[in-house]
Amino acid sequence: MPGVAGTTAGTTLTFATSPDLKPMFARAVLNGRFSADGLPQTVAERRGIRVDVGHVVDYAHVCGFSVGTSLPMTYPHVLAFPLQVALMSRREFPLSLVGLVHVENAITWRRPLVPEDVLDLRVSASGLRPHRRGRLVDLVNEVSVDGQVVWSGVSTYLARGTGDPAAVSAEAPDVTELARSTGGAVWRLDEGTGRRYARVSGDVNPIHLHALTARALGFDRAIAHGMYTYARVVSALGPRVPAAGTSRVWFRKPVRLPSTVLLKVSPDARHAVVVPRTGEGEHIVVETTPARRRPPPTRVPNTRFVKS
Amino acid sequence: MAAPRKSTPTVRRAAVLGGNRIPFARSNGAYAKASNQDMLTATIDGLVARHGIAGERLGEVAGGAVLKHSRDFNLTREAVLGSALDPTTPAYDVQQACGTGLETAILVANKITLGQIESGAAGGTDTASDAPIAVNEGLRETLLAANRARTTGQRLKALTGLRPGHLVPEIPKNLEPRTGLSMGEHMALTTKEWGITREDQDELAALSHRHLAAAYERGFFDDLVTSYLGLSRDNNLRADSTTEKLAKLSPAFGKGDGATMTAGNSTPLTDGASMVLLGSDDWAAEHRLTPLAYFVDSETAAVDYVHGAEGLLMAPAYALPRLLARAGMTLQDFDYYEIHEAFAATVLCTLKAWEDPDFCKGRLGLDAPIGAIDRSKLNVNGSSLAAGHPFAATGGRIVASLAKQLHEKGAGSRGLISICAAGGQGVMAILEGA
Repeated sequence: MPGVAGTTAGTTLTFATSPDLKPMFARAVLNGRFSADGLPQTVAERRGIRVDVGHVVDYAHVCGFSVGTSLPMTYPHVLAFPLQVALMSRREFPLSLVGLVHVENAITWRRPLVPEDVLDLRVSASGLRPHRRGRLVDLVNEVSVDGQVVWSGVSTYLARGTGDPAAVSAEAPDVTELARSTGGAVWRLDEGTGRRYARVSGDVNPIHLHALTARALGFDRAIAHGMYTYARVVSALGPRVPAAGTSRVWFRKPVRLPSTVLLKVSPDARHAVVVPRTGEGEHIVVETTPARRRPPPTRVPNTRFVKS
Repeated sequence: MAAPRKSTPTVRRAAVLGGNRIPFARSNGAYAKASNQDMLTATIDGLVARHGIAGERLGEVAGGAVLKHSRDFNLTREAVLGSALDPTTPAYDVQQACGTGLETAILVANKITLGQIESGAAGGTDTASDAPIAVNEGLRETLLAANRARTTGQRLKALTGLRPGHLVPEIPKNLEPRTGLSMGEHMALTTKEWGITREDQDELAALSHRHLAAAYERGFFDDLVTSYLGLSRDNNLRADSTTEKLAKLSPAFGKGDGATMTAGNSTPLTDGASMVLLGSDDWAAEHRLTPLAYFVDSETAAVDYVHGAEGLLMAPAYALPRLLARAGMTLQDFDYYEIHEAFAATVLCTLKAWEDPDFCKGRLGLDAPIGAIDRSKLNVNGSSLAAGHPFAATGGRIVASLAKQLHEKGAGSRGLISICAAGGQGVMAILEGA
């Protein structure tokens, strides 16, 4: 059945198609917080995914990617996100979905994915741990092709609450100098930014959609999706994103909509930071690390490369 | 690098080193949402990957599109910036209707020949799906008048010019502005004038499909085409096309009993992009790339179709004798002919004109007719009727395919390219196998 967990074999939820997030968010808003302590061992899966190229193009255009022969590096996240929500909106999940803040994300890819790849997606939760301002949890997304994991993402969420002052967590690299450097590309993000990304990502969390719905949840204005701002950075890096590597992002300060921000990239493209055009602080920090080993050649059907 | 020299032009050969295109897609289909910039960038990246030139600074990249959004004023440069080429590679746009792709290759080849650059890429892209729709002309004039106004009163007065009809947008049309006729209607007039039969047109179209299908089957396009958005072959291709099937279609252009041009023997609106890599012999050697063919010469002609003296798509007929005279060749000296199939009738009218003593004497001023060609050497790997014709992308498709054919044939083999274009223009080039 489309969008509905077909079978619950043990602790595996299997989805035939991407689940609709609207009812899940609605339930989460109504139900509020649960109080389970441990992290369930439930896994959400979607197998045999053939990407919808029309959707890839829509996603690419919203995030500023040029539509190439391979998928945007961040694209699998929008396939994984609904499964993350499916896990996090279950009663057994110890943290309340509404109010979870995406604080970090790390993606490792072994090669660029192409539309011809048939993807198996597996999402699980792990690493529930204390943080200074509450508790952290990792949602682990794995994309496999022919049984090999080719893309994996770790989305780290913070549930604000009673924190542990002694908790130590990985900090973003120090990009103060880069953030203070002159220049940078100007991005003018209008009020509809959150709605456009919601349409292509399915992330209809009300804090992104409109000032009124955001206000109901304690923000004075709508805020941009972190993964949108991050995808814009990755698209701006363009060909400087390696064919295989790891990309980490730290979400520091929400981008309130509308606003004008600046993108600053280090000369080696290893670090990028999005800062307010006026004012202090950093919105997001991105670190890109090429894989040490040479990636296997991209499978581009119908093509014989003359040289490698 | 070439040896340092004082700035005296040295004339040398410009080589075609390879090409890349994405499969061509019928409009509003597989690439419906892809933009020209998307397709051109993907095509450049495929060219770069295939030839191992990531991070290289080329002498220049010339490209273009016929249907172009105003925001795409710097289309080719933007595509280069989004590609794996060194961002310090300069680029510019060219627009010569369907001649765009071949003209860019000629421009880059000429600079290489003159020693001004060592390498370059040339090609084009077009989408009839993601077309530039503009605001209504009346709305545009009203808004501009309001913008020029200095006071609020003047502005309000200007805005009273707004009319409900202004909501109707301006959609690009395949019309000649000076005659109000579409390209197909123009071609239908020429087809009638030359008495080209429906059967001959359908036969040429069926052959184009069979040739293209056979070329895919034998792997000819394996190093010329890169899959894009799930498409690995041109989706206009009908491998099982026959003259019998084509004979069932109703005429699409022209009127009455004499109408012969159908959707089957005319090219459909298509989306796609192509690029070729060009370089000097030195540059090719440095990059361990094998020249496939060399540019020998080129010629562009234009005809006065407005006052009825000549058919819109007949300009190549006029370019040929000038090109042959310079090259010291006859039409029969070529191993391959690539005559762009805008319509099957275009190819047939052009060939018939070259065989016609009156046309060759009266219109071209020649003592004897140019003569017939060996039709088995024409469009041997299929052409636009089968592959489709994304206007500015056709030249790159033909240059890369012909260069490969000539390389397979052997050094010294010769090929002729002929492309007709809107505005009564025609671009031709001679390539020699390397």
